[in-house]
Amino acid sequence: MLLFILKRVLQAIPVLLLVATVTFFMVRAAPGGPFDKDRAIPPEVMTQLNKRYHLDDPLWKQYLDYMSNVVRGDFGPSFKYASHTVTELISAGMPPTLELSLYAILFALLVGLPTGILAAIKQNTLLDYVPMSTAMIGICLPTFVLGPILLLVFGIWLGWLPVAGWGQSPGDKILPSITLGSVYAAYIARICRGGMLEILSQDYIRTARAKGLSTARIVLVHALRGGITPVISFLGPAIAGLLAGSFVVESIFQVPGLGRFYVMAAFNRDYTMILGCTILFAFLIILFNLLADIVQVWLNPKLRQELNARG
Amino acid sequence: MTANIPKVDLPLLEKGSSLSQDAIARLRRNKVGMASFYFLLLLILIAAVTPWIAPYTYDAQNLALGAAPPSADHWLGTDTLGRDQLTRIMYGSRVSLMVGFIATAVALTIGVLWGAIAGFLGGRVDAVMMRIVDALYALPFTIFIILLTVIFGSSMLLLFLAIGAVEWLTMARIVRGQVLTIKRQEFVEAAISMGLSPWRIISRHLIPNVLGPVIVYTTLTIPSVILLESFLSFLGLGIQPPASSWGSLISGGVETMEEYPWLLIFPGLVLTMTLFSLNFLGDGLRDALDPRASKD
Amino acid sequence: MTSEKLLSVENLRVLFNTRNGQTVAVENLSFSLEAGKVLGIVGESGSGKSVACYALMGLIPSPPGKIETGRALFHGKDLLQMSEAELRHTRGHKIAMIFQDPMTSLNPYMRIADQLIEVLLQHKKITKRAAREKSITALMEVGIQDAAKRIDEYPHQFSGGMRQRVMIAMALLAEPEILIADEPTTALDVTVQAQILALIKGLQKNHNLAVIFITHDLGVAAQMADDVLVMEKGRLVEQGTTETIFKNPTQDYTKKLLNAVLTSAKPVNSFAKRDEAPLLEVKNLQVGYASHSGSFFSRVKKFTRGVDNVNIRLYRGEILGLVGESGSGKSTLGRSIIRLIDAQSGELIFNGKNLLDLSPANLTDMRRDIQMIFQDPYASLNPRMTVFDTLAEPLLVHGLATQATVLDQVNELMDDVGLDRRFIRKYPHEFSGGQRQRIAIARAISLKPKLIVADEPVSALDVTIRAQILALLLELTQKHNLTMLFISHDMSVVRYLCDRVVVMQKGRLVEEGETEKLFSAPEQEYTRQLLAAIPTL
Repeated sequence: MLLFILKRVLQAIPVLLLVATVTFFMVRAAPGGPFDKDRAIPPEVMTQLNKRYHLDDPLWKQYLDYMSNVVRGDFGPSFKYASHTVTELISAGMPPTLELSLYAILFALLVGLPTGILAAIKQNTLLDYVPMSTAMIGICLPTFVLGPILLLVFGIWLGWLPVAGWGQSPGDKILPSITLGSVYAAYIARICRGGMLEILSQDYIRTARAKGLSTARIVLVHALRGGITPVISFLGPAIAGLLAGSFVVESIFQVPGLGRFYVMAAFNRDYTMILGCTILFAFLIILFNLLADIVQVWLNPKLRQELNARG
Repeated sequence: MTANIPKVDLPLLEKGSSLSQDAIARLRRNKVGMASFYFLLLLILIAAVTPWIAPYTYDAQNLALGAAPPSADHWLGTDTLGRDQLTRIMYGSRVSLMVGFIATAVALTIGVLWGAIAGFLGGRVDAVMMRIVDALYALPFTIFIILLTVIFGSSMLLLFLAIGAVEWLTMARIVRGQVLTIKRQEFVEAAISMGLSPWRIISRHLIPNVLGPVIVYTTLTIPSVILLESFLSFLGLGIQPPASSWGSLISGGVETMEEYPWLLIFPGLVLTMTLFSLNFLGDGLRDALDPRASKD
Repeated sequence: MTSEKLLSVENLRVLFNTRNGQTVAVENLSFSLEAGKVLGIVGESGSGKSVACYALMGLIPSPPGKIETGRALFHGKDLLQMSEAELRHTRGHKIAMIFQDPMTSLNPYMRIADQLIEVLLQHKKITKRAAREKSITALMEVGIQDAAKRIDEYPHQFSGGMRQRVMIAMALLAEPEILIADEPTTALDVTVQAQILALIKGLQKNHNLAVIFITHDLGVAAQMADDVLVMEKGRLVEQGTTETIFKNPTQDYTKKLLNAVLTSAKPVNSFAKRDEAPLLEVKNLQVGYASHSGSFFSRVKKFTRGVDNVNIRLYRGEILGLVGESGSGKSTLGRSIIRLIDAQSGELIFNGKNLLDLSPANLTDMRRDIQMIFQDPYASLNPRMTVFDTLAEPLLVHGLATQATVLDQVNELMDDVGLDRRFIRKYPHEFSGGQRQRIAIARAISLKPKLIVADEPVSALDVTIRAQILALLLELTQKHNLTMLFISHDMSVVRYLCDRVVVMQKGRLVEEGETEKLFSAPEQEYTRQLLAAIPTL
């Protein structure tokens, strides 16, 4: 098992390197430098700026410098906010984004799993049809439509919840978390239902019923472990989606998180910031895919044993 | 594809019904699926003839009118510049649908070829090809697309390519899995042992049996592509004004939703309904094509 | 033994609501079970034999299933009227079940211990520790070695026969009065089947159990049951003591079933030409699989030898039986002969040429002369091609027919295999299993091959259908003077069809000889085991 984890971690490193490299050269290949937008800068100031940011070094040197800095956790200075380093900006934006993602995924699991399980047990009844149709609507309602609507209804018309901010007034974390999580709640409900239905039709569930076990025990002890496997493999990609979704949600609800910084950096052509964020996001996505893989193997005794047998 | 099987004039004997005929019959019985199908058909028709039937032009401003709620002149109201919203949504559907279909076509082409080659050749080639797909899966593609649009500016062509390049991965996996399953089926082994040419085996025995899942997944890819485009346009990274797509209309609607909620609600509704229909049609097709349903 | 009625079923009627309306799965079924007796329920697929028993246990999925009428009295209470709670108290406690496929009937995610203990915890007042002790004893009773250790393993660590033993131990844990066994040995190898049958019989005696034994196999029923009940299409055909049913059947269907049991030797001999050079000579053949064991993330190459140094001669005009259990390498050998699998070394001399040396182009020509019939008639026909297309394709591709003649030729093939010419525009899914196998046979003979490799062509079929297909194969080999390699696990089928027999075990050739000689005087211990495992009437 340890070997398997180690192997997967080692496999992730080249992917990360690839992401960093491709991003770096893409940014450098971009037409125009970072300072072109500003009002005519005198050539001598331009040279100064380029020198300060080492843009006059040969490309390969810039690349090697950057990569070695990144490995040490230093993403360099921000082009836009000259007084801050990218690392500082990222560490400021990280906590709200992670917190938001965590609440969103918790919301998604708390709503999605029970709904999916119930729909599978009560297949072809109202308890199946109604939640599953709702889930379909949830999937088709993009975050950037749902968010504003929730904001309009609960924030403005009813005035129950704050419309913006993060941790500044009580309850201001509710709407962003629900907005970001609801699509995934819908997906999880559907995937969980599918997984449970698959398992509930297995022979060993018939065995469990023939043994006289209660429905609760059959579902929770016998079916659940197999039934939620597809949900777990979905969580990896879901986290990637959550991070992308946070761009929108953070913009709508003005959450001072990484997603909002990223979109702003994209508009400002703050190249070091874009680079830093991209690498960080790639790291997070790879990390969560890895975790999902590990949990999946750990849940399956056959796979687990094969791995242990090999050391 | 039936090149060297001559068409024989068969006497009118008891005629069987093929799996696809059965599937169509099943789909026809699915009311939600058929409703979705007709809704999409209507939407595509309207989008196709928009320049001739739109009540206004998409950039005709009426500053005196400003943002007005729905009325007899402007069925879906006007935006802050007094532009007719119905017209702008109609033009927006042209963009959104076009991106949806073309990017899906890109994804389909790459994905089917990649998956079919990997699945059919198998062995080392397959291992390498799928390893590449696995590696690409780990990349943060949404972020890459944002990056691309930032660096190279947002053009339609870039959008097609970028979105197509993201979505082909899943298609390749599905096609490969399907090809591997079918390849192991005994009727393919029978075809090999009858000495049929590889091309004939692929075209007559493999492809027709792989088609079902591909059709289903294609139907389900279109909405995710439309969603991705709307997402980019919402962030201001996709379609640039004065042209409009559903995403950019919604983005504009959000800014003024307190005063003029119809500017958010109508484009949001059209987008959601389209995604809804495509997903339901995809689900309906999956049910209809499910081979388990047609066995005995 | 007193003949006390433990369970009596009256007028049971079970319906299923399907897409195409209602179908009756069980119609007006009445029977009774006495304490300490074994009741065999015999029937082919679709006879309703399993559905009837599942209905008693409340295990029919509803919808679509529905028990319309009937009573099932067990200790004076009607099982069919019981509440879910009462039924739960009965299931696994008073009436236990074992199922056909031991590979899928145990929960792969749970340790054996947990699956056993939960039965006792559910039905008895017992501590966890005592339940565990009792479970270990039960495992020992069904013949699991080292039970105290193995109880903590997962199902995938047990072989198929061992898993069925675990299932049996689990069923008997709560000391039920009735055991319902649904085809418990059908998925097992013949020698394992014999062991499991003996085990069930022994336990039945020791525990004075009443057993309902559901099977399609008359031989097994004869060996196991005191009374037999024959079902067809949901209806009771005939019931009585095993002796009367097998010696003096009164109903036509029962007679048909009994006739389908192959007890006889081959009715006619083929025109084998043993003095000529053999049509196919397999010399020192080695076939192995290089499998990437485990899963995608570790590429440990494992080399498994499927066929190990095998030598076989096949003469023109004979039917050679290739017998073995699962894992014997018999199918691997068959597939390597038609070059679906590549051999590592050795020679395959066919008609004077080594098949392993042929270039791809020559191989294509050679393929015409060797055809294969597969086991699963559902998978061996392309579901998207009509019968006409399926049969016409090989003829046209190899230039054996022209556009003008192809329809006649296809019609002739239909006649050959006993199918109605009017069906040529239909698709495979519109035919029954037996009809599909006829289409597959027609396809195999369409190219007039010199050799046919038939891989378990009748194992997926019901007994009466099996008898028809075997008769057809025999007829066709005579008519077209075919040579056939017939691969099977079923000794009685081989005896009926083959001139000579080769026995394989674990990739190696064990014994070979003329069919009658091998059956009457087997030389090897393994062959004797195989023969002893054939249930007799």
